Amino acid sequence: MNQSVNHHPSISLLELYCDGNLSAEVALLIATHLDYCPHCQQLRHDIEADLGAQLVAAPSGEVHSTDWLEMMNNIMAAPQLPPAKPAEQAESNISIGGYQFDLPRSLRRVASKRSKWLSMGGIATARLPSGEPHHASLLFIDKHTDVPLHTHHGLEMTLVLSGEMVDEHGRYVPGDLIINSPDDTHKPRNVSDEPCLCLSVLSAPLQFKEGLTRWLNPLQRFFY
Amino acid sequence: MMDLVMTERHHGPEPSTQGLIDLTTTAPVARDLGQWEQALALVALSRDKHAYQELFGYFAPRLRAFGIKMFGNEQQALEMVQDTLLNVWQKAALFDPSRGCASTWIFTIARNVRFDMLRKKQSRKDDISADDLWADGDYPEAEDHQTQKWELWLITEKLAPHFAALPPAQRLVMEKVYLEEMSHQEVSELLGIPLGTVKSRIRLALDRLREALDESER
Repeated sequence: MNQSVNHHPSISLLELYCDGNLSAEVALLIATHLDYCPHCQQLRHDIEADLGAQLVAAPSGEVHSTDWLEMMNNIMAAPQLPPAKPAEQAESNISIGGYQFDLPRSLRRVASKRSKWLSMGGIATARLPSGEPHHASLLFIDKHTDVPLHTHHGLEMTLVLSGEMVDEHGRYVPGDLIINSPDDTHKPRNVSDEPCLCLSVLSAPLQFKEGLTRWLNPLQRFFY
Repeated sequence: MMDLVMTERHHGPEPSTQGLIDLTTTAPVARDLGQWEQALALVALSRDKHAYQELFGYFAPRLRAFGIKMFGNEQQALEMVQDTLLNVWQKAALFDPSRGCASTWIFTIARNVRFDMLRKKQSRKDDISADDLWADGDYPEAEDHQTQKWELWLITEKLAPHFAALPPAQRLVMEKVYLEEMSHQEVSELLGIPLGTVKSRIRLALDRLREALDESER
């Protein structure tokens, strides 16, 4: 699919990412977006260059000569060559619903630590290692499948990894980042003939708004 | 902090240069340009302690100030400084000046060290680590990469005299690759020698330069 990424993180979100000040789960989402988006990758380089320049330009503060000398000598006593990297047990693709998906670099190691897939209708989810207050998971939406209408207390961030999906606001292709605030009620759908795989980060459980699903606690647990 | 970011709406692609101009114009003036890149090159090349002392002396106190701001205590700040500057010492050969400044490289190491320290404190280090989040895409370990970065070093004062003292066959290849910026393949065709020979002559020449530099430091 040759469609370019259209929905990007804001500059301020990229800055927090470069600074290392995002929670790990949200940072993972941004890192994955960068794997798809040369435009934001370039911005990342520029922001990091700026942060590096700030470090150089910062005042040195007080002098602590004695501590420093010992630390420096310890370091220079260490061998210079880095130890060989341990073999990565990463997977470069993942199978679900009878399909196989390539994984972007940022998710390869983390995805190998996912929990079991839970399936319901044409939807499946597998939790990635993540902790309070965020929750990261892989979300599979089969072709011609709707995700029930829902809203959320917290924030819902979704990144399309493969395939495409639509909601009330637009159409999303791989690399597109969708951020829904607590005020948004929306209903993502996969109306295409291809299966869709997403990375989803939630900061609070979803609440389902429609018909029966409203009463179905299991569905809520399913997504969170 | 997060709320502010969260509610920000996301539009289509932004005009590609808008953010860039702001960032680059606020960068400090280019005084000392190349100083830290050269120091890193010398550390990588010959474990040059003098060059490392310069790097350490400049960056250690600044990293400490950065760490205290981030951690709020000196003990962890110093742990971060030590780990960061150990990485600088051990991995200087991975720094590639064609892909960014030394300061950027050192900043990103410090950031990654800090991130992993915080995750470790939460006992979550293995979940998502700095390696997952910040690709070393800036520093690919491609085969030719190892030799590309020598370009900058070759024009430093310390290396130039030794360059002239290389055996003629090696010097010729080095000149074509580093001064005339020809690819290995082009040199192979021009001189009518196998590609493997071009590469091995370059490796030998680099070894010889490393030795020469070591001796001149003594």
